[in-house]
Amino acid sequence: MSAPLSSGQLVRLVAAREVSTRLRDKTFLVSSAVMLLIILGILVFQAVVNSGSDENRIGVVGDPGALGPALEAQGELLGRDVTVVGLDDDVAARTAVEDEDVDAAVLGATGGAPELLVRESDPTVEGLVSGAVGAVALQRVLTEAGVDPGGLPQLTVTALDESSAAAGQRTAVALVGVVLLYSLIVLFGQFVAQGVVEEKASRVVELLLATMRPWHLLAGKILGLGALGLAQIALIAVIGVGGALAFDVVDVPGDLIGTVGWVLFWFVLGYALFASLFAVAASLVSRQEDLGSVLTPATLVLFVGFVVAIQAAGDPDGTAAVVTSFVPGLSPMVMPVRQAAGDVAAWEVAVAVVLMLVAIALVVRLGGRVYSGALLRTSGKTKLKEALRAGRA
Amino acid sequence: MLEFDGLHKSYGDHHVLEGVGFTVAPGSMFGFCGSNGAGKTTTMRIAMGLARADAGEVRWRGRPLDEESRRRIGYMPEERGLYPKMRVGEQLTYFARLHGLDAAAAARAAEEWAGRLGLGERRRSRVEELSLGNQQRVQLAAALVSRPEVLILDEPFSGLDPVGVDALADALLEQCRGGVPVVFSSHQLDLVERLCDSVGILARGRMVATGTVEELRRRESGRVLRVVVPDAAPGWAGAVPGVSVVSEQAGDTLLDLAEGADDQAVLAAALRTGRVTHFAWRQATLVELFREAVADPAQQAARQEVAA
Repeated sequence: MSAPLSSGQLVRLVAAREVSTRLRDKTFLVSSAVMLLIILGILVFQAVVNSGSDENRIGVVGDPGALGPALEAQGELLGRDVTVVGLDDDVAARTAVEDEDVDAAVLGATGGAPELLVRESDPTVEGLVSGAVGAVALQRVLTEAGVDPGGLPQLTVTALDESSAAAGQRTAVALVGVVLLYSLIVLFGQFVAQGVVEEKASRVVELLLATMRPWHLLAGKILGLGALGLAQIALIAVIGVGGALAFDVVDVPGDLIGTVGWVLFWFVLGYALFASLFAVAASLVSRQEDLGSVLTPATLVLFVGFVVAIQAAGDPDGTAAVVTSFVPGLSPMVMPVRQAAGDVAAWEVAVAVVLMLVAIALVVRLGGRVYSGALLRTSGKTKLKEALRAGRA
Repeated sequence: MLEFDGLHKSYGDHHVLEGVGFTVAPGSMFGFCGSNGAGKTTTMRIAMGLARADAGEVRWRGRPLDEESRRRIGYMPEERGLYPKMRVGEQLTYFARLHGLDAAAAARAAEEWAGRLGLGERRRSRVEELSLGNQQRVQLAAALVSRPEVLILDEPFSGLDPVGVDALADALLEQCRGGVPVVFSSHQLDLVERLCDSVGILARGRMVATGTVEELRRRESGRVLRVVVPDAAPGWAGAVPGVSVVSEQAGDTLLDLAEGADDQAVLAAALRTGRVTHFAWRQATLVELFREAVADPAQQAARQEVAA
């Protein structure tokens, strides 16, 4: 009738129950949707802000002649896309500016007294146009005087910090990633903790442990919710990266994807550590009301890591950032920011990863013992020492 | 055979079990009685691997229970436990799968048991929405859904109304007829007496009595005969050899017969006094047997001294 179950099958059964329960939990679905909406909102906002400032339409009355290319060239110097629109007369120019069809209109461009029509004063546009008008006038004067403008000295620009802009963008992405990573670790860590207490409070744990070992239950819970958490952060990453590329918010897609990849990697390690810690802490109490007090220490560590990570964005090579990027528990948040913002050698990442793996192994071993010792003590709070002793027996 | 053999367990200095042992044959029902705190729950939890015995073991078909064989046991813990927010049908399916049924068989079994225990219409309800009685039925269904080879139930009847008691009793008897050994603990001794093939009484961590109710009665020291002789003079039976008078009230006499005493001699003596309206061995109820069995020997001695 019934076939023997392997450990793997039991863990999978537990994990599947966790996933299907969460997928039908309205609070979870709503919070996921809100998180996605926020990410989309940030992207759209960025896109709108960028497009608003990067593009200018400038009207010119009459034939723009040499002024057209000059405006575009000037725009390029100021980092703006300039579109030149030809206008029939001064009246048309006035209407176009009032209707916001153009940002500004140049009247009498070729005469001796050119005039710029704007809705409200905009220094960038004014500078841009006056530069263009001046350049065209200068060129005409030079040509009339028989001087070859090509002989004028040309300015060559050399950027000493070529990578700074790209690093800034990577840091921004890493920061958004760390905010997400922190929130999701807290959220799914809470899910794990609540699940553990729910099973203790409802006493169903006794029925479960009659069919499986404590570690099956613990592993199934952590893996199931972890898979869900990873799926959620990956979904946000795909939508975020896709959106950023589609809306042209970032310039260097390769950097972006690399940074997002590292955030995902650190999420897995961070979740594994904190979910285990949360589960073990939760196994010590038998009421949801007592959960807050036992989770506080682990939550604090998580929060400290988060704060240091935010500061590391500004000073990625500072002592605090460098030291904490190796500390297990803090590294999942600090290291991805350092990797994005500063120079981190491969060996540094490797050391941080190994330290983190050692910490996870320790928590799982010791914590598993506490968990199995405390699980069947369904009255009140269990002391850590008692649980350890019971787990060993 | 389901054998509990020499179980010892102590928590610190407190000895909970001191050599508990009994056997349950396939297809028979074993009633496990004892005062509160006597160690019944601990015994059952040891069988389910939820507590570890300091010594002794529980065997099924000659082999000590392990994780795999425990999966074929249906268990109902004293502290009822189900996922409050999970739907009845899904919950039963889940437990069936944890006991090793594949997905399709588990879904079928869940549906079948929900129907048989009158939960068919509540299959899609969350457990927390059900009445306590119905939650109890779900708990029982969770124990039965995997078609267990053995049933171990801790206080399955507590909290049930009389209709629920009958339904549960029927379900258990049916399992028994199917060859499943059933062990259940209960304080409702009338139920135990009615349902069980054999009874075990646990007191102070030891089995103080095991056997069929009949055997326990026979084992009871001395035998009590009730004779009603309305016309007899007081002390009419005192002369019969091996008989001591327990009580005598207007001819309604309780007699304690020593081993080898002749009940027919008592009848002859009674007939000599005139009419005999009642002559029968008095059946001790399980409640009396229980009181006798669990009574603390020290207290019992004290009581006898007072009586003397």
